[in-house]
Amino acid sequence: MALLVAAPGARAIDDPALATRTEILDNGLTVLTLEDPSTPVVSFQMWVKAGSRDESRVTGLAHLFEHMMFKGSKNVESERHAQIVQARGGRVNAFTTRDHTVYYEDVTAESLPLVIELDAERVANLIISEETLTSEREVVLEERRLRTEDRAGGRGIEALLALAFQAHPYRWPVIGWRSDIEAADVAVCREFFHAYYVPNNIVLSIVGDFDTETVLALIRRSFGRLEPAEVPRNPTQEPEQRGERRQTVYFDVRSPIFYVAWHAPAAGHADSQALDVATQILSGGRSSRLYRHLVYEAEQALFAHGAYWELQDAGLFYAVAGVRPGESIEEVEKLIFAEIDRLREEEVSKAELEKAKRQIEVGMINGLLTSHALANRIAIDHMTFGRIRPLDERLAAIQAVTAEDIKRVASAYLLEGRRNVVRVIAPPEEAAP
Amino acid sequence: MRLSAVVAACFTLACSGGFAGLGATRPAWEVDPPPALESPVVRPGALTRAELPNGLHVIILEDHRLPRIVLSLDVRRGAASVDPAEAGLASFTSELMKRGAGDRDALELAKATDEIGAVLSVGAGWDEMGAAVSGLARDTAVLFEILGDVVLRPTFAAAEANRARAQRLAALERARDNAATVEGWNVVRALYGGHRYGLPRNGTAETVARLGADRAREFHHSMFIPNAAVFSAAGDVDADEILARVKRMFGSDHWQAGEVPSPGPPAPQVAPESRRIVIVDRPDLAQARITLAHEGISRTNPDRIAAALMNGVLGGSGFSSRLMSVVRSDAGLTYTIGSGFSLRRSPGPFAVSTFTRVAEVRNVIDLVIGELERGRDEPPTEAELAEARTLSVGRFSMGLETSDAVMSSLVNLDLYRLPEDSLDTYRGRVRAVTTADTAKMAKQLLHPERAVIVLVGPASELLPQVEDLGPVEVVQP
Repeated sequence: MALLVAAPGARAIDDPALATRTEILDNGLTVLTLEDPSTPVVSFQMWVKAGSRDESRVTGLAHLFEHMMFKGSKNVESERHAQIVQARGGRVNAFTTRDHTVYYEDVTAESLPLVIELDAERVANLIISEETLTSEREVVLEERRLRTEDRAGGRGIEALLALAFQAHPYRWPVIGWRSDIEAADVAVCREFFHAYYVPNNIVLSIVGDFDTETVLALIRRSFGRLEPAEVPRNPTQEPEQRGERRQTVYFDVRSPIFYVAWHAPAAGHADSQALDVATQILSGGRSSRLYRHLVYEAEQALFAHGAYWELQDAGLFYAVAGVRPGESIEEVEKLIFAEIDRLREEEVSKAELEKAKRQIEVGMINGLLTSHALANRIAIDHMTFGRIRPLDERLAAIQAVTAEDIKRVASAYLLEGRRNVVRVIAPPEEAAP
Repeated sequence: MRLSAVVAACFTLACSGGFAGLGATRPAWEVDPPPALESPVVRPGALTRAELPNGLHVIILEDHRLPRIVLSLDVRRGAASVDPAEAGLASFTSELMKRGAGDRDALELAKATDEIGAVLSVGAGWDEMGAAVSGLARDTAVLFEILGDVVLRPTFAAAEANRARAQRLAALERARDNAATVEGWNVVRALYGGHRYGLPRNGTAETVARLGADRAREFHHSMFIPNAAVFSAAGDVDADEILARVKRMFGSDHWQAGEVPSPGPPAPQVAPESRRIVIVDRPDLAQARITLAHEGISRTNPDRIAAALMNGVLGGSGFSSRLMSVVRSDAGLTYTIGSGFSLRRSPGPFAVSTFTRVAEVRNVIDLVIGELERGRDEPPTEAELAEARTLSVGRFSMGLETSDAVMSSLVNLDLYRLPEDSLDTYRGRVRAVTTADTAKMAKQLLHPERAVIVLVGPASELLPQVEDLGPVEVVQP
């Protein structure tokens, strides 16, 4: 077992994920299992490689399925799935990203067979009816109002992605455009489901106190008879950005929000470590550059942070700041760009570099705390690298990042002519509805 | 017991031979669940308790699975001890404790924490204040030093107080953009008026403007006394070593017992007396927020488990609750709805909260009032209660997956002077609750006829929907 390499005098730790077993069933279903007898919680996660990037005519379908999967199947009534799991104290939920739809059940060990059967049942026998679609469409529209339409931050992020990606399907929101949610009918839903909810497009990730052979036998019996199929993908790649893009969003806010994003590499790229370290330098704690200079010293912002966001087909490096009521968004913009310029122009100090690396190291250890976090990590590792990437390998890559690397990636990606800037501000009087 | 044994037992009962859609006999979800595997909450021998001569309680939980630790120090008084005119003083004081302590100013303290990858948090609840620091076990000495400085030697520099106050005032101004926050402010105001619970925990622009370094220093001095405090350490620690450090850092030589401050006056027993409606006017919103609220129960109420199970059936258990089933699953009128008690030393609110498109607000209010009435008239059935019990027991076990979580539960019990063995007895107490108990709770604790109703949305469209329900007050955010 590999050891986590750490600073001198440190106690190295084992990376429990290295014991992960990967099994691919005849129908293409991938099963990742990691036995951990020390925890009372088993996390069972079903990662469907269908995100909003896989939508074509109608946006929001991947997310709509996140809802429809709880609305009943041939042998389980609508909503019973969640109720049955909750009645055993389990946590059951799902989320959709641009790349994946993830269903999870965190349960005590004796309920693992139950959730395996329940998930297999809904993949095999989901009912997509006009009746359930009608009520769930309304629920999703409420979710859209809650998270996006009535929220300044939601409007800002939606605009930022649509601005940064002009061609790639990452440009539309995961929840979908309102018109599409309203228009999604049973036929397009069935088409999406049959295209993407196939075993060769699903990864099961299971962590906790169980016997792998027993669990695999159960999965073969339940998921094993699903039929594989070829999975369609959108071919569109984002063309290179030539020139800065800017957008203003009017929203009734006392505190404007400033966003900027640059294109950055997709998940798994060799530069990702340097970009992760740059993230910490900008945003890791109250001594980080953005907090210190925008919030603490200049007192222009209420919050300010930046981060590298990895997706499967592309990435973004972004920064965001909430402007103090009464202060100027132009000043906040200037301060953020000054910090980005500094990353490009000056080498970060040794102390700052070491601090950033240490924060990442501690974050990696904290990521081992729960079964849920571990199951999440091994699923992402598998889909990004095709294997479980040992923590010591990742930590060694982080430790290898130099001040020169930070300067290099900042100069390569964080360019003035490739900025995408969104400002959420209160409407001027004449623009008010 | 490991899963293999459970599955083997299941197979022999032919309950799990594949799933129903593919030609099996009985699917797992139609079979009674196997008994929950109940391991002890705390591994025998892992827990150490002590009390120092100055009255400080010490709880240490050893868990060597990962090389990390969490240290914290909490006191048994919080925002409820503050006069309403100074609302926000407890959290303001907490913020200043992070802005300079011992020999370090604000930035030096942030650097000292960040450079070892540690996280320092200082905060104030209604009934407690405290500081916690987490990091790697190899940094235990530095983590102790930081915690000791923050708790015992905060600087309270005037310049930092001025910065912190300006930031708080700006944050309060920004918070007015947030519909849910403004809703919460109006709920507590409508329920508790002049009582401390009637103002936000972080205060208002008016009260925060009065706060300064000197007052925070005095307040800290009165609140952080060892005979009202609990020190805790969880993770990759050696109990003897920690105890020795605690004695050196927080023992009588450095920290003297004092007079424990008042917990603050009790909250009104009945709030509100009669139904009233508050509309916070936000003409720009397409979705209105809705809360119905009245007084709830205290953290130490002897019937709290029966009350929680009753609430679980009503609206506290997500998709398994009646409210979620009626308002979301059947009617598609919301994305989520929930109900719950805010458990404090003195009874905090009981509230049902949700949101819907503006035109449907009255429908949702009627559905919620209908479910609250049904909660009293048709209290939880045996089947509903059985699900609520297993849910409660399961959630309890799942919620204690990490030693951090176990420790915060143990500290919370100590802060409220509840029995030390409460975690060990919890599952048994849940199973002992009967339908008669939950029926009694529903009758005693649900008051839809006099609940305050707070709405956030366009007043011009909301007012006509609700004016027949009771007196309406329209306010600006």
